[in-house]
Amino acid sequence: MSKMCRVTINGRTVEVPAGTLVTDAARAAEIHVPIFCSHQKLPPLGACRICVVEVGTPRLGPDRQPVIGQDGQPEIAWMPKVQTGCTTPVTDGMHVRTESSVAVKARHGVMEFLLVNHPLDCPVCDEGGECQLQDLAFAFGQDFSRMDEAKRTFESEDLGPVVKKEANRCIVCMRCVRYCDEIMGDDALTAHQRGVWTEISSFNRQPLECEQCGNCVEVCPVGALTALPYRFKARPWDLRQHVSICPWCSNGCSVRLGVRGDQVLRARGTEFRGVNQEYLCVRGRFGYEFVNHPERLSAPLIRVDGSLAPSTFDEAVALAATRLRDIAATHGPESVAFLGGEKLFVEEQYLFQKLARAVVGTPHVDARTRLAARVAGDAILRATGGGRPLVTLDDLVEAQEVLVLGEDLQGESPFIQAQLIRGQHQKGLHLTVAHPRRVKLAGPKFRGDWLGYRPGSELALLHGLTRAALEDGGLEGLPEDARDGLVGLEASMGSWTPEQVERATGVPWAAVKAAAQRLRAVTRKAVVFGRALVEHPDAPRLLEALENLGWASGALTRERSAVLYAGPQNDSQGALDTGLVPDLLPGYASWSDADERRRFESSWGVTLPAGAGLSAPEILKAAAEGRVKALWIVGDHWLRSAPDRKLAEAALARAELVIVSELFLTATAGRAHVVFPAASFAEKEGVVVNCERRLQRAVRALNPRRGTHADWQIFQAVAQAMGARWSYRTAEDVHREIARLAPPFHDSSWGALLVGGHAWSSERPFRSATLTPAAPPVAPASADGLALLSGGVLFLQGSLSSHGTLLPKLAKQATARLHPDEAARLGLAAGDRIELEGPEGRIELALALDDTVPIGSVFVPYAYSDVELNRLGAIPGAADRLKVRKAVAMAAV
Amino acid sequence: VSAPRGPLLFKDIDTPGLRAIETYRSLGGYESAKAWTGGKRAPEELIDVVKASGLRGRGGAGFPAGLKWSFVPKDSPKPRYVVCNADESEPGTCKDRELMEKNPHLLLEGILLAAYAIKANTAYIYLRGEFETLQRIVDRAIAEARGAGLLGTSVAGSGWALEIHTHLGAGAYICGEETALLSSLEGYRGQPRLKPPFPAVEGLYACPTVVNNVETLMNVPHIATHGAQWFRQWGTEKSPGTKIFSVSGPVKRPGNYEVPLGMPLATLLEEHCGGMRDGMKIKAVIPGGSSVPLLPASMLATGLDFESMAAAGTLLGSGGVIVIDEQTCIVDALYNITRFYEHESCGKCTPCREGTYWMSEVFERLETGHGRERDIDLLWDVADNIMGKSFCALGDAAAMPVMGAIKHFRDEFEYHVTHKRCRVNRRRAELDAAQAVPA
Repeated sequence: MSKMCRVTINGRTVEVPAGTLVTDAARAAEIHVPIFCSHQKLPPLGACRICVVEVGTPRLGPDRQPVIGQDGQPEIAWMPKVQTGCTTPVTDGMHVRTESSVAVKARHGVMEFLLVNHPLDCPVCDEGGECQLQDLAFAFGQDFSRMDEAKRTFESEDLGPVVKKEANRCIVCMRCVRYCDEIMGDDALTAHQRGVWTEISSFNRQPLECEQCGNCVEVCPVGALTALPYRFKARPWDLRQHVSICPWCSNGCSVRLGVRGDQVLRARGTEFRGVNQEYLCVRGRFGYEFVNHPERLSAPLIRVDGSLAPSTFDEAVALAATRLRDIAATHGPESVAFLGGEKLFVEEQYLFQKLARAVVGTPHVDARTRLAARVAGDAILRATGGGRPLVTLDDLVEAQEVLVLGEDLQGESPFIQAQLIRGQHQKGLHLTVAHPRRVKLAGPKFRGDWLGYRPGSELALLHGLTRAALEDGGLEGLPEDARDGLVGLEASMGSWTPEQVERATGVPWAAVKAAAQRLRAVTRKAVVFGRALVEHPDAPRLLEALENLGWASGALTRERSAVLYAGPQNDSQGALDTGLVPDLLPGYASWSDADERRRFESSWGVTLPAGAGLSAPEILKAAAEGRVKALWIVGDHWLRSAPDRKLAEAALARAELVIVSELFLTATAGRAHVVFPAASFAEKEGVVVNCERRLQRAVRALNPRRGTHADWQIFQAVAQAMGARWSYRTAEDVHREIARLAPPFHDSSWGALLVGGHAWSSERPFRSATLTPAAPPVAPASADGLALLSGGVLFLQGSLSSHGTLLPKLAKQATARLHPDEAARLGLAAGDRIELEGPEGRIELALALDDTVPIGSVFVPYAYSDVELNRLGAIPGAADRLKVRKAVAMAAV
Repeated sequence: VSAPRGPLLFKDIDTPGLRAIETYRSLGGYESAKAWTGGKRAPEELIDVVKASGLRGRGGAGFPAGLKWSFVPKDSPKPRYVVCNADESEPGTCKDRELMEKNPHLLLEGILLAAYAIKANTAYIYLRGEFETLQRIVDRAIAEARGAGLLGTSVAGSGWALEIHTHLGAGAYICGEETALLSSLEGYRGQPRLKPPFPAVEGLYACPTVVNNVETLMNVPHIATHGAQWFRQWGTEKSPGTKIFSVSGPVKRPGNYEVPLGMPLATLLEEHCGGMRDGMKIKAVIPGGSSVPLLPASMLATGLDFESMAAAGTLLGSGGVIVIDEQTCIVDALYNITRFYEHESCGKCTPCREGTYWMSEVFERLETGHGRERDIDLLWDVADNIMGKSFCALGDAAAMPVMGAIKHFRDEFEYHVTHKRCRVNRRRAELDAAQAVPA
């Protein structure tokens, strides 16, 4: 711990760590010192000068000891000039005056200067009512201005579809420019000219080419940058503001929704709270449109004579319950399967699996509909250390070395990316990005190392890294239970020679070795992975190999180090924690463990089905073959998310009963027999578990859309109609039951889970550490054609994001991307309509050239609603190859 | 051959062909550099000599050069840099320009010795944007020195490497401020940086860096050759050595003069510059470039050294002595100066950015005959609100002259308010005359 300093501010003494800035010490002393340019995530700048204070230090005598005055206190030598509190670190014995005549005059002077050229257009300024400059002007109470000269003026500018600039209001605090550079890594903004003519804009005064995150708007202390989607929509005091948890990825950002009537009008960060504080990505900030969308389902639909017709909730519940009971009675409960739920709150996930297992009596539940292979429910828990403490996203900034495995964080985990960029920029964090494409984070700007492995060679890369880490020396801190596997693992590495790794991955061994050594050399490190490994056809082996690497690299053994799972959805972690997987009961209780089953049986008052549950890809197959006859799909556009479109089509066609709970009438919902309109994330309350395994409670920001119900209410209604004696009044009731039954949630208390919540971990891991020998390499099947690469994009995620105007507009048209040389080889040009043909089918889309895509592969983002990647029958990472050619024009001759 | 124009830097300045390395060497040039780098005397010793000489920075602030060098961390694994501040942009100052134009090798030798003292291997000369001609001259000198083995991978065969590069600024006054200069040199917007860390610890590319003015560095070879005591034969105890003053205004012989520090201002103006021309009388003198408060004619006995000037309520600054005669309107002069600072304020901090604009607007009001009684106090208070609150010294530089002018010549401001015009205005009269005659 750093040394503590005693600082006296306006006579009030506080103790703060050495190096604390005077403004922060004042906050600790509950004394208000205004700030504009200073920002908690940016280094001190000292530009706006509003925080000027008087600073003094103990006067030292010739003996370098403080001189004691007549009052017995050290004499204070006051500095001749006022100092900016935001740049002055405290020292022991420092005195600060914020209300002396000198400090007050200086502060008033700066305030007056800030208003010299600031227009008094507060009545038509979006910031009005929550503007720091306005508040401060009000606090100072000066009701006239000595400045009666003409103000300098600028033209206003639209900087793209998100940011509107009113430069006249700008106080040149440079927060926007610095945030964009140091945290977003975008450098999209700059200051033009100088003096009073300093004007913030893009470099070429063209629309911003950036992530469109709007964080520049968020950090602007005045109304110089405003968000076009919110412009002139509301006065802040007309909004009801509630903090929910962002639904767009696994990072768990707190999002402050501004609601008027039944409309969400804006989303903002939470300034000093939450994992993200002020940060939101473009999806989080502008992706709320779907909540207000007119096409949302507002009445249950039931299939009558082959087509869906509006119904009442009671009727739909009765129908669902009757049909489920009938099918279970006729074909056995195992003929029913429950799919989806990674986007639900944990209370809903819990009830969904309880509905399946305890009411319907089927073991077939799986939230992970995109899986290409059966992945054990605890595989991710094992790969991340069995429940050992993870790092927080804040800690990630302080890490010395971070290895990103296979993910383009920009699309999958924008906040993690921002934290890593900040760490790199401000704290000397070194990045190693393993990805077939040179994604943003692997770019030269971030000075990291890029391991551009061959698509599909993830396993070889992991084994190579593990081998290099083992060669690097001792495995300090390796748990006893893992030691047994060490000999086997080391022996198995024999077949993963440097040459073999190089041949498979295309990455020079020296680079692999250096990456492993860097990871081992530092004390604070992290490995970040996500869907690229989990949805890989070889996922089970990849996750074992990842656990090996975790132990071998020290990422699992060192304190404040971790292997971090950034799941594909906002509550992917919650789905694992609540047992929404076929082989686990809530809290990682093994389905096959008789004692654990008995614990749940007695608690739920039922007998649980004996057989093992099918996982999502197995359910897909079973349903297509007619073995599973009833499906309940929750919050998941299965026709798009299932790894094989043909099988999913067949499954939906054959099933006797399909129940879908959804916000919109997706194509999947269109095939259902019963459709329940669901409330959106903003309209219900519940807990979400993010990638840090942090439980945070989302608060209901507005009433559910008329005719919709929260998913847990739908599950309960059907359970009750099937005879179950469920009586949960609120989500809190459900949460209490989970906390009682699931060890990870034992400490969880509903009241304490608001913004920030707490992360669960266990000093006694829920799973033993295991080192698994690597299977020897298999020669890759040689095939003609291009490997399929896919990944998330920033502007779209899931089918909900297409229900709006801004995100689809920003995302532009979906394209397949090829390296320019590859396109030339194939005789294709940018903009061509091309056809991709896989083993099972073909899709058509436009071509874009992109030199980050490796030769020999084609990149197709999966997030666009008109790109149905699963029609190809090729899974990213698999050996399948695609044929790419110019599409034949459909026009008649 | 005329008599030497000064004892040190100007001693040989008008020697024909001094720009060429042969001429410079024929006068003993580079001997000092060779002697020091030859291996017998340690770099630390040179720092001690410069410290003992009491040489103070000639760029304006007067910080002791040897002390600055000694702040460079001894054990830093990072590269170190010497940066020569040749951005000479203080209105009224034109000494570095003449020094570099006529004697570039003396500068190179000074840089070489400074680099040796702090064990740097790279040095930069940051020239103001308009000094294109000087860049060519200095670049040629660098090429000559490299050709003579005095720069490059082994300076004078010592095994110690030094490269010197020139860099032209892009025309911003603020880039004369050392941290803004470093930002500009790195390719960023030229704006001052937070201190600490000071450049000696984290300067160019966050590495230890010594930034010295041209004139400061040109003193170093003399001190390195002759020693600290010899240097102290000129000047005062606390301001030893000589200083070059650039005298402008209606004196008989305006120009650059090298005189010992401590010389009374009146002596410089009367004896060296020949007094006022055409029977004009001095109203005031700005002794150290436009950034410093003016001295009224009654204070011309003040000594030209750092301490005496400070005691008189002004600063020695960069040595740009601007003489203002009785026919010049002080309000007019200050309006001109204030507009300069308004134009050159970098915009980083609020008081300087907004305050210089505001002052300039008030001055314009006074100048155009729309001044009000309260404007004088307003001007004072705006200047006072800038003073000591701005990020760097530019704000102070804009505020001090205004406050000095109001303090000493308030009556002229009041005249502007009551009569809606200047009491005296030679400049306006001259301009009117010029406009009356078609070109």
